[in-house]
Amino acid sequence: MNKLLLGSLLAGAALALGAMPAPAEAFPDKPIRVIVGFAPGGRTDTVARLLAAKIEEKGLLPQPLVIVNMPGGGGAVGAQEVLDAEPDGHTIIHWHHQLLIAKAMEIIEAGPDDFTSIGFAGGGSPVWSVRGDLGLDTLDDVVQKLKAEPGSLVEVIGIGTIPHFVGALLAKEAGFETRKVQAASGSDRLKMIAGGNADISLFAASEYEGWKTAGQGLEAVVFFGPNRIDNLPDVPTATELGYDVVWANPNWWLAPTGTPQENIDILAAALEEAFQDEEIKAWFAENALDHYWTPGPQAHEESVELLGRLQEVAAEIR
Amino acid sequence: MLLAFSNLLAFWPLTYLALGVALGIIVGSIPGLTASMLIALSLPLTFYMSSVDAMTLLIGMYVGGISGGLIAATLLRMPGTPASIMTTFDGFPMAQQGKGERALALGIAASIIGGLISWVFLAVLSPPLANLALRFGPWEYFTMVLMALVMLASLSQGSLVKGLIAACLGMLLAMPGIDPSIGQLRLTFGWDKLTGGLALLPVLIGTFAISQILKDVIAIDQRLAQVQVMRRAVAIKARDLVTHGPNLLRSSVIGTWVGLLPGIGGNIAAMLAYATAKSVSKEPEKFGKGHEAGVVAAETANNASIGGALIPLITMGIPGSVVEAILIGALIIHNLQPGPLLFVTNPEIAYGVIASYLVANIFMALMMLAAVGWISRLMYLPRAYLLTAILFFCVIGTFALNNRFFDVWVMLAFGVVGFALEYCKVPLGPFVIGFVLAPIAEEQLRAGMMSSEGDFLALFGRPFAATFFVISILTLCWPLYQEWRQRRRASAEVTT
Repeated sequence: MNKLLLGSLLAGAALALGAMPAPAEAFPDKPIRVIVGFAPGGRTDTVARLLAAKIEEKGLLPQPLVIVNMPGGGGAVGAQEVLDAEPDGHTIIHWHHQLLIAKAMEIIEAGPDDFTSIGFAGGGSPVWSVRGDLGLDTLDDVVQKLKAEPGSLVEVIGIGTIPHFVGALLAKEAGFETRKVQAASGSDRLKMIAGGNADISLFAASEYEGWKTAGQGLEAVVFFGPNRIDNLPDVPTATELGYDVVWANPNWWLAPTGTPQENIDILAAALEEAFQDEEIKAWFAENALDHYWTPGPQAHEESVELLGRLQEVAAEIR
Repeated sequence: MLLAFSNLLAFWPLTYLALGVALGIIVGSIPGLTASMLIALSLPLTFYMSSVDAMTLLIGMYVGGISGGLIAATLLRMPGTPASIMTTFDGFPMAQQGKGERALALGIAASIIGGLISWVFLAVLSPPLANLALRFGPWEYFTMVLMALVMLASLSQGSLVKGLIAACLGMLLAMPGIDPSIGQLRLTFGWDKLTGGLALLPVLIGTFAISQILKDVIAIDQRLAQVQVMRRAVAIKARDLVTHGPNLLRSSVIGTWVGLLPGIGGNIAAMLAYATAKSVSKEPEKFGKGHEAGVVAAETANNASIGGALIPLITMGIPGSVVEAILIGALIIHNLQPGPLLFVTNPEIAYGVIASYLVANIFMALMMLAAVGWISRLMYLPRAYLLTAILFFCVIGTFALNNRFFDVWVMLAFGVVGFALEYCKVPLGPFVIGFVLAPIAEEQLRAGMMSSEGDFLALFGRPFAATFFVISILTLCWPLYQEWRQRRRASAEVTT
């Protein structure tokens, strides 16, 4: 923060002195490209755009953040672009834990160690939802049914994506087995359940809220966050039910390894301040997302630990 | 609903709607630039608008963008948007035969009629249709796409073998990337640029637009004589409505239905409608050589698909295409959660979408009629200028798709591939159809097999899927049977 203040003071002084050239190390000296590895419209894209707009509105950085959508390979295409870019902080990526999953599935060679974490700007946890007309109201009902008749319920997932892994983590903990069908996106999964072609799937809490009355309706049986949220007060967490599965998917800001630490700090300070804005807070609450800021080093450490666990799961489900 | 229309009749919503349609038509008529690109670029602007204004702007762009594609497809054989690939097959031959105006007139009429019929479905039958569409599971998708593939297999003129080679090549090139059913990389040969596979737009623009540019450049001196100026008004007679009535109606229903199914869009709607029109036609051999019914089927269906796609969007919050995913994103930014509750919580948005779609279609038809002469004159500028400009837009558009230059190289490479294929008299139609349909067929077949635990016969437990499958088999066997019958008759004549 001090650095930022100093920077803006220097910039002000430079302006006052008129002809004085900007110091070469002034960062950022051109627009910052924020790579989003998905098409516009999803959560990762929306959060990036909201924070970029807030940074500009509050004048937290001398240069704008430009959102660049590079969909493909679940974010892997965008990640490659960031890793190929000059590591100077002018190209960063907004992603989430699909990075760890892509690494665990060995779709990309890069892992958390090839990036420097700028921080987690909050995140969201999903719910496991069952089709409404099955009469399975609790996770216990589901587990008992699956234990009595393994594979009797169809779980719709994207193979090698978050729903696949979270479902597998729970199945491993609780000792049951579902029949798996693949579908590309959240709305494809909803389509399968609402049309009666599948029984269970994982949805983001906000997706669940919007879709819970679609088709035969959706029944949320377990929430994977660390604790219950106000948007879904009646849905128990997995931990409460005695299963050690927590999935909090962060809005993860990353720069390629080799980016100077001072530039990371400038970006982190701007992002955190924009993130703490009341409007952003309200938007997170409205959209069933958790509002917390995790500094870079801690974000990195948590992610590396999670990767180890995902690699174990990947070895079983690949 | 009436309230929604009266809301819409305010100054700003109408202005945004007209602006959206106009921009959409312009972008749609330029090969390489697509409606989804325009909408993605406009998304940040919508942050600062009211949600109703934002929605009218985006819907206007959506309708305009799909419709504008027919002009370049007809006059230059370059699909202005992916949804107008099928229009190139008959529109361009018509233009070469000097019937370009007629093709455009039919295309515009078909667009508005497709739009209006699908609007009726949207306004009247949304909830039951959405529920029915959701019943379509992997098997239904697979067999429906299979049906389209089989019906279009004979699209190639000339050698059937070359057509099949082209189709297989197209399918093969759709394979690299992440295998949808095991989540692992395949056919990328360790080249990380291929992780996301080959995108549709660069392949399409490459094979059609770039290869056509290459052809035109080679023939740049000979082709100048072909220039024609459009003077007469682009009009459509009442008689045409009678002649093409069944086709218009059928293609509208097919287009609406395909639009309803999330995950597949205007290009597949046009393919299926074209295939059906050809199958029921008394003169199927004329398709692909400048047959009016081909243009009508393709343009009706791609416009109808928009109305269809809006149905799951507003009733369920399910986006049917990239454009709609962005539309949903725009709503979410305004804190509106699309889904079944939207009619209850924000009826002005839900009914507003329905009302804007109707008005957008009317604007689209008026603007297209007013502008088509002018735009088509642009297409007949000296080729040296025109081709350079098109190449420029192709590069920009392809780059802007995913913001990476790799896609531009893919486009240029496919331009050479397309040129080489045509040089060897291998038709491009089956190539592109294979490329578009194979990934859907594969994904859905494998999802179906997963849900039935590897039992292909599960398909016959589902009435729609079984029907589609039987139609596919019959379509495949019919020519063989006819040939056999002819041969038997011939041999019978010889013996008697």
